Amino acid sequence: MGHHVAIVGVGQTHHARRRTDVSQAGLVREAVDRALADANMEMGDIDTIVVATGPVLFGAVNHPELWVANAIGAQGKPIVRVTSGGGAGFAGALAGYYQVAGGYAGRTLVVAYDKLSEGPLQYSISTLYDPFWGREFAVGIMGFSAAYWRARMDVLGHTEEAAAMVSVKNRRNSIANPYAHMKKEVTVEDVLNSKPLCWPIKLLDVPPISDGAAAIVLSNEKLAAKSTQRPAIIKGMAYCCEADNAPERSLMISEPLAIAAKKVYRAAGITNPRRQFDVVEVQEPYSCFELNYYESLGLCPPGEAADLVASGATDLDGDIPVNPSGGCMGANPIGAVGVVRLIEAATQVMGRNESHQIKDAKLALVQSGGGWANLRGCAVLSA
Amino acid sequence: MALGKVAIVGTAQTELRPVWGEAQHIDLISAVVRSVFKGTGFSIDDVDFVIDSGSDVLDGRSISNCGFLGALGAHHKEEARVEADGIWALQYGVNKIRSGASSVGLIVAYSKPSESMVENYWASQVEPFYQRPVGFSQRAAAGIQAQRYLADRGRSVRDLAEFAARRWADAKANARVQIDDLPDAEAVLASSESALPLTQLMMSRPVDGAIAMLIVDEASARRAGNNPVFITGMGSGTDSHAYADRDPLKLTSLEAAAAMAARAAGWSAKEADIVELSAPSVVGEMLAIEILGLDEGKAAVNRSGGALPADPIMATGLCRAVEAVRQLREPQLYDGGSPSRALVHGTQGVGMQNNCVMTLEV
Amino acid sequence: MFSAPESMPLDMPTFHAEISLPYTLTPGRAAGTFLAEMKNKRIVGSRMANGDIVAPAQDFSASDGEPMTNFVEAPQTGEITAFTRVDGNIIAFIRLDGCSNQFPHRILDQLDNVKIGARVKAEWEDGVEQSILAIKGFVLAPDAEVGTVRALDEVEEAIGSLPYSMALQYEHAYGPYYGRMFDEIKGFGRVMGVRGSSNDDALLPPREIDDITHKPTGTWKTCADTGTIRGCSIINMEFIGQTLKPPYVYAEIVLDGASTRLIHFIEIDDVEYAKKNIGPGTRVRAIWTQGERKGSMADIERFEVIDE
Repeated sequence: MGHHVAIVGVGQTHHARRRTDVSQAGLVREAVDRALADANMEMGDIDTIVVATGPVLFGAVNHPELWVANAIGAQGKPIVRVTSGGGAGFAGALAGYYQVAGGYAGRTLVVAYDKLSEGPLQYSISTLYDPFWGREFAVGIMGFSAAYWRARMDVLGHTEEAAAMVSVKNRRNSIANPYAHMKKEVTVEDVLNSKPLCWPIKLLDVPPISDGAAAIVLSNEKLAAKSTQRPAIIKGMAYCCEADNAPERSLMISEPLAIAAKKVYRAAGITNPRRQFDVVEVQEPYSCFELNYYESLGLCPPGEAADLVASGATDLDGDIPVNPSGGCMGANPIGAVGVVRLIEAATQVMGRNESHQIKDAKLALVQSGGGWANLRGCAVLSA
Repeated sequence: MALGKVAIVGTAQTELRPVWGEAQHIDLISAVVRSVFKGTGFSIDDVDFVIDSGSDVLDGRSISNCGFLGALGAHHKEEARVEADGIWALQYGVNKIRSGASSVGLIVAYSKPSESMVENYWASQVEPFYQRPVGFSQRAAAGIQAQRYLADRGRSVRDLAEFAARRWADAKANARVQIDDLPDAEAVLASSESALPLTQLMMSRPVDGAIAMLIVDEASARRAGNNPVFITGMGSGTDSHAYADRDPLKLTSLEAAAAMAARAAGWSAKEADIVELSAPSVVGEMLAIEILGLDEGKAAVNRSGGALPADPIMATGLCRAVEAVRQLREPQLYDGGSPSRALVHGTQGVGMQNNCVMTLEV
Repeated sequence: MFSAPESMPLDMPTFHAEISLPYTLTPGRAAGTFLAEMKNKRIVGSRMANGDIVAPAQDFSASDGEPMTNFVEAPQTGEITAFTRVDGNIIAFIRLDGCSNQFPHRILDQLDNVKIGARVKAEWEDGVEQSILAIKGFVLAPDAEVGTVRALDEVEEAIGSLPYSMALQYEHAYGPYYGRMFDEIKGFGRVMGVRGSSNDDALLPPREIDDITHKPTGTWKTCADTGTIRGCSIINMEFIGQTLKPPYVYAEIVLDGASTRLIHFIEIDDVEYAKKNIGPGTRVRAIWTQGERKGSMADIERFEVIDE
């Protein structure tokens, strides 16, 4: 049996549309300094490092972990890069989790970042497509995402209004988030009337493009007390996939997410997610995905996500608040987002969330993912 | 807390060829995933997770694992992409099994450098403001290292050529690498200049290929259909990014990685029967041998030929592990004896910035 | 194990792809200042927390990771500490006088003259700014006096963003499955896939191993020119790398006889009409290009909605 793993320190940059004052390496450094200080540590206390970023084409630096190593002061230490598109940060944290759980490290630093202002986003994401088969028709991942939202509208009732409510909620929550840079309240009408980009996706269904980094320190149970009296314990964490062009692939319920949730819930003793979780943080690259996650994570039955958001249950004062941080709508440094969501959930159960502390939050659910919506994972954190 | 042991119960590799012109990535990947189960008693249905290594820059697509999930046999399983040499994917898999979370893992690494310009893979690794514009990259680092090494150790370029020729001959004998014309030392010397004083054949030759490995926990290893090889130690380390900031006659991070692995295994590199090293150049390999304190008379070093004749970039370190497993399990194919300990090594980054070492035992 | 027959020709045709992207990279304070000062022909270094002088300037120490403390002007003279030749260019490590580090740059001289320990000085390239190549290289200067590091009271503002481009070329192998599929498209104007391992419908694109069962796939099968939309969206936005002018429909289509999707365009005149009338379940037909087919997906010009 392996070690229990806890998040004992967190740090993120103040995300921005464009940071012209720091390089990619300097951005990483800011998050690392904050996480180490928060964990009451110095770099010397760290055994291993995981670096996670989006695709190389985002930043024009191949093996960026080997460049940023100097800025972190990581020379001499084990360092490894994990990637998974939008889910890179979460996948990196999972790799770090196993380094500690498997006894390879007592304390692991996971840092994730993307500096999206530096490259052409849609074009570089379009290279996700097979060069023989569809790349020339690709519209980043937005054309695809909109296409299957459109399909879910018919079958699951994920209407434009329901998705707009997600955007409205998350944008409202972002205003109090000190790390967010998109802070503007909007109405459902604003979202519905905003410029169509890839209909049904409209401008206000889309998060901003951001520069940002986020870091967490993971520790085994023995060392955790040296950092904090109140760590966030990882009760379960998994990340699953599905073949992108499989015959049965309907893109209704996210099957890889449902599979991951099943594993994680079993490990964490979750039998009724809607009632048991105090707070949920999800990575919504477009507003429509949050509806998909409600159903895939079992927060409501399939086809009831629109009702769930409309009921206000996922609002700040609802019984299952989702994205009190504002989610991606406040800031979206893609490769870092998985770690940002973990930070927001961890600080909730640590009782020191800076955006909106949910009272007495003890159990939090985190979701993240990437690719063609075919890489999906979740984690359960507890006080 | 005692953590469980992890065993290698199956390995597979395609032939390593300069150009697999008639196969796509998925063809090579699915071929090794299909054959890794042979004789193990396990099937794809037993696999809990897949961890894969490949490079977006070499593959020419972003998040390239995403398009290869079916070929990887990963559908509806846990999957992770380690964008580093496959030996780091193996390291991840070992940690995952040791944590008790999973029992059976599939590790896959692949490469088709023939489809791209390998120079771009290296040039895009160095930071873009100071080093990249002046053309400093992997070859220049190897050249500078070699120049310093020859001057300091009083060795000749011919020594390098003879060393390279020996490795090519071993690879030819090993028969898992496509070699049409076996170069002798003269041919190595006569090949075109890569980075003075190194000729092209003193640098590792990029090849296409895929590697797969099946790893399981101790309990599952007992029901395997063949002799398991246990992973008993792991270590890794990183050097400063700029090669100019490093001592060219040292590989500090290799030293750190080996020490870390030795602490876990309880024995050091010197005590290995079999050693499989990855290096991007003759001098890189010679330095690694020195730094690990290896005696080529005592240990069988790179009997596979190592990375010089065949470097499937991103899969090279995992390939070393596969070769070592084969030598541990089937000593009769080599020069007999009863080897019980192997040390394997993977590296990446300009001038071997990042190193990983593992110890294997039967 | 996958293997090709002996008779396989060595030079298989490949599919050319290029990924060419524009960037605006941020060098950060140290490199940004160094590059900004290139136009003044000054070499900016940094003093690190441990007292070391490092040039070109670095934000963080390579030895201990500590941030730099202040900028200095490094001398333009120094010595060669190591060298090599790559593609005909001599690349050396240079240690500027008074500095503790070395860095790579070009040596503008004959190889025979280059020695470790040789004195060098920077040679500037007029008209180049914001690049380390404003220093064209270093020339041998045996008599150059040993320079000194000087304080820098004022420096140019750091460059915030620097244009950059990366172009990557690929020659992708077709492999036996994609190879035949595109041959069929080119030769006969038909889309062929292979049957799944346990299913009569064709997998597109075809492959040796079934993604779901990981068992060998079945025999070849011709799919129809017609199919059904599984998902689609209406593209209104423009972006770098786009191949068609918006608005148009991005569609994921399952051809009749196939089980997996093919990605293509549907041209539209009226967005509102498309919203109402093109969606999952809509029947479509492939419109092939006129003239000679090339053997790629572009041989299908577009799809159009079938009035049934």
